[in-house]
Amino acid sequence: MTNPVVHITNLNLHYAGQPVLRDLDWRIYPGENWVIGGKSGSGKSSLAKAIVKQEKVSGDIHLRFTAGLTLPPVAYYVANWYQFTNLEGDRNFYYQQRYNKHQQHDTLTVYADLIHFGQKHQLDFHDAEPILEALGFDNCRETQLIELSSGEHKKVQLVQALWLKPQILILDEPYTGLDRQSRRQLNVILDRLAAEGVSLILITNDNDIPASINRFAEIADGKINVVADIAAMAQDQERRPKPFPYFLQKAPTADSDTIAELRDVSVRYGEKTVLKNVSWRVRKGEKWLLQGPNGSGKSTLLSLLNGDHPQAYANEIWLFGRKRGSGESIWDIKEKIGIISPELHWYFDKHATVWHAIASGFYDSIGWFLNVKYEEKKKIEQLLDFFDLLEDKDKLLHTLPLGKQRLALLARTIVKNPPLLILDEPCQGLDRSQTTHFNAVVDELSAYGKTLIYVGHYESQLPSCLDRRLVLEKGEVILNERHTFLTT
Amino acid sequence: MANYFNTLPLREQLNQLGQAEFMDSSEFADGVDALKGKKIVIIGAGAQGLNQGLNLRDSGLDISYALRKEAIEQKRDSWKNATENNFTVGTYEELIPSADLVINLTPDKQHTAVVNAVMPLMKQGAALSYSHGFNIVEEGMQIRKDITVIMVAPKCPGSEVRAEYLRGFGVPTLIAVHPENDPEGKGWAYAKAYCVGTGGHRAGVLKSSFVAEVKSDLMGEQTILCGLLQTGSILSFDKMIEKGIDPGYASKLVQYGVEVITEALKHGGVSGMMDRLSNPAKIKAFEVSEELKDIMRPLFQKHQDDIMSGEFSKTMMEDWANGDAKLLKWRAETGETAFEKTPAGDVKISEQEYFDNYLLMVAFIRAGVELAFETMVEAGIKPESAYYESLHETPLIANTIARKKLFEMNRVISDTAEYGCYLFDQACKPLLADFMKKVDTDLVGKNFNEGKDGAVDNIQLVQVNEILRNHPVEVVGVKLRKAMTAMKAIKTV
Repeated sequence: MTNPVVHITNLNLHYAGQPVLRDLDWRIYPGENWVIGGKSGSGKSSLAKAIVKQEKVSGDIHLRFTAGLTLPPVAYYVANWYQFTNLEGDRNFYYQQRYNKHQQHDTLTVYADLIHFGQKHQLDFHDAEPILEALGFDNCRETQLIELSSGEHKKVQLVQALWLKPQILILDEPYTGLDRQSRRQLNVILDRLAAEGVSLILITNDNDIPASINRFAEIADGKINVVADIAAMAQDQERRPKPFPYFLQKAPTADSDTIAELRDVSVRYGEKTVLKNVSWRVRKGEKWLLQGPNGSGKSTLLSLLNGDHPQAYANEIWLFGRKRGSGESIWDIKEKIGIISPELHWYFDKHATVWHAIASGFYDSIGWFLNVKYEEKKKIEQLLDFFDLLEDKDKLLHTLPLGKQRLALLARTIVKNPPLLILDEPCQGLDRSQTTHFNAVVDELSAYGKTLIYVGHYESQLPSCLDRRLVLEKGEVILNERHTFLTT
Repeated sequence: MANYFNTLPLREQLNQLGQAEFMDSSEFADGVDALKGKKIVIIGAGAQGLNQGLNLRDSGLDISYALRKEAIEQKRDSWKNATENNFTVGTYEELIPSADLVINLTPDKQHTAVVNAVMPLMKQGAALSYSHGFNIVEEGMQIRKDITVIMVAPKCPGSEVRAEYLRGFGVPTLIAVHPENDPEGKGWAYAKAYCVGTGGHRAGVLKSSFVAEVKSDLMGEQTILCGLLQTGSILSFDKMIEKGIDPGYASKLVQYGVEVITEALKHGGVSGMMDRLSNPAKIKAFEVSEELKDIMRPLFQKHQDDIMSGEFSKTMMEDWANGDAKLLKWRAETGETAFEKTPAGDVKISEQEYFDNYLLMVAFIRAGVELAFETMVEAGIKPESAYYESLHETPLIANTIARKKLFEMNRVISDTAEYGCYLFDQACKPLLADFMKKVDTDLVGKNFNEGKDGAVDNIQLVQVNEILRNHPVEVVGVKLRKAMTAMKAIKTV
């Protein structure tokens, strides 16, 4: 029998005193390409990091590289989030930073970042070009890293990895934030890499995986558990129905029938057009689905509604019956909106506990607030209970499994019962049962008179309350309709 | 123009120097109302100008930018900054005559020229705001009597002013009204509204005066903040090289060490910083810093005396007039030091190692912070002002050293700070020559605790802790830091 490419014996890992991986054994043979799934928090990312020696573990991990292949003899790990720094080496970013224009560059451009990566690994830039093109990322070369959306950050990471073609490639949630087209292209490239001899390990709960995947496993009780396919993997438990908190059963007060209106809105920087002649009206109680490929302008559109974009002052935008730039403050606007987005999550205060994160929703601040009032504390308690987060309330938000972090941020979003909810890809990184849970909450919430704007790429993973849809492409509205496809 | 401070009778000098009141949040209940609907024109669209303007507009105020004709015609960065964020931009002639409040956010050195150009255009009864009082206090600029003159000075870089605002917070801010220019009595209302517009009211506001701000700001920046960090960094690096420590390691320890060490200072004051050391190391650092305080005290006092008498600003302005001859010479010398020219090595230094292997810098910082604070308070400046201009700003300056060493620090700080920094550095190095001869690698470069068993004398440790924790900078620091609840760690390395 051939020797394994990856040979793990007796792997043990503890996190905060709790065992995560226990006496784990795993072998990956040449020609095998794996998907690792399973519940969030089960230790998938830790195992991946252990293989590339980014996590301290006890036990033995042996990697065997093949000499003579043109593929570099390395194991390369693509984390679920892209950790870039600014030019001064720190990461003290805030989520709205990409909309504030400043001549002094804060971060590298995509092009400079890739050149840097290529030099480090001695790669030829010509080999990166087809990948950039395949992922529809060619037009972002001169964009600064800070200006990218979460899906575009994912693409930077993927381009680097696919360009490097390491002998062992581990991708942690590679589809997060990708539009459908890019996702198909990614699978095509991954299949090509597998054919060239790259051993793939994908951490995902997704169904649309490359054809070359031929082994499946999940982590359960700290061990690798080989299964037949994705469907056979354990999911997080279905949620026990709980009574909806009483304070959220009241329709929020909104003094205008039109919640938001954009009239012929355009945003451009130099040569680059981000939004072009966009007109859109959102009336009270409507539930909108907002769609479009990565880079089509969705985040910019939402940031105009949320008071986060300076270009709002140069366009005709009406929010809650008042024109933008007529003397209102952004805090007046944010007070009426509950928002969750991958960027907000990404840049959230690392010192915030779950309780602080939720409480900050009353003040629209990122983890910081004044003295919380008694009634507000009661509401926070009710939400903690509703989302099964009571025992996690004093833990730091970013140390929880991704699924729980999202629920905590959803709690932050709704704690003040705002008239308008903006949920921008709220289910990124969640598995199917978590997504179902999340969307069930959104549906229930929407039943009480809220207005909703929901961004999601995949139609199988949407709340059922959505009744209208706006589709953007290259900054233009290509579809604005009552939508019924969910019921068909 | 005569030095304004020197024209005042002693009692008025003491009165203005002694103004420092930590404001209650209830004082900001009116929000931005006093400036609602007023035309606000900002001069200068650099880091402070642009970011403050973004905050003020997001707070519902009417903001535009006045730039010099050349900056507009040549589409300079300031013009791009303002236009790309969709502000109205115009020349002084176009915008100033209708302005209710003109905010001057240009560098100190340009103030006289800017104010002379702007003042004749300002309408009757308008207001003029500064973020630093040098022009008024040291240069003695006289503002037309119908104009209200205020100061709003966020105590953080412009990028932080914006970042903290959007997180729903703010940065500590100092506000003042010039007593010679408050003809309608609206100065405080304007200053408070402006402060709310930038988010400053959420992080602690100090009611100060132009005089107190200038005399404490100059003192802080030239002694502990820039001067001593520069001297301490260069001496530490040279000592390690002399003793055969790897240059790459030495360079990294010095470049990032001040930042890591002062991060502890930011959260827990001098005692918080000292608590990061083992007990024997703490006692050693205490002893070393006591010695440093004795050696450097006369130099700190000389700087404060020259600032108070106007001697410092007089000689600096002479250098301005002389084409910055001294400044440029010193700047070039700083660029040539071995520390500046040795890149940080590719070695991993853990957070704790920065304390254990760089005890000398801990001692320098304790000595410098306490000396600057003590000297200011002895000169009549209130502890609150002295705290902001010593301890509070040290981590901010340390952060610039971590970015690109001393060159970057001197590039980022104001021109007054840079000049004063070199002045201090020139005098301090010879002063410390004998002291440095005794210093070995246990204080800088290697782990002080190595080969020691960690034992200390109970009573000595209790005494040292008591002295550290009861220093007045610690007492006032506890109060002021409480108001800055959401201080965030600056993440590097």
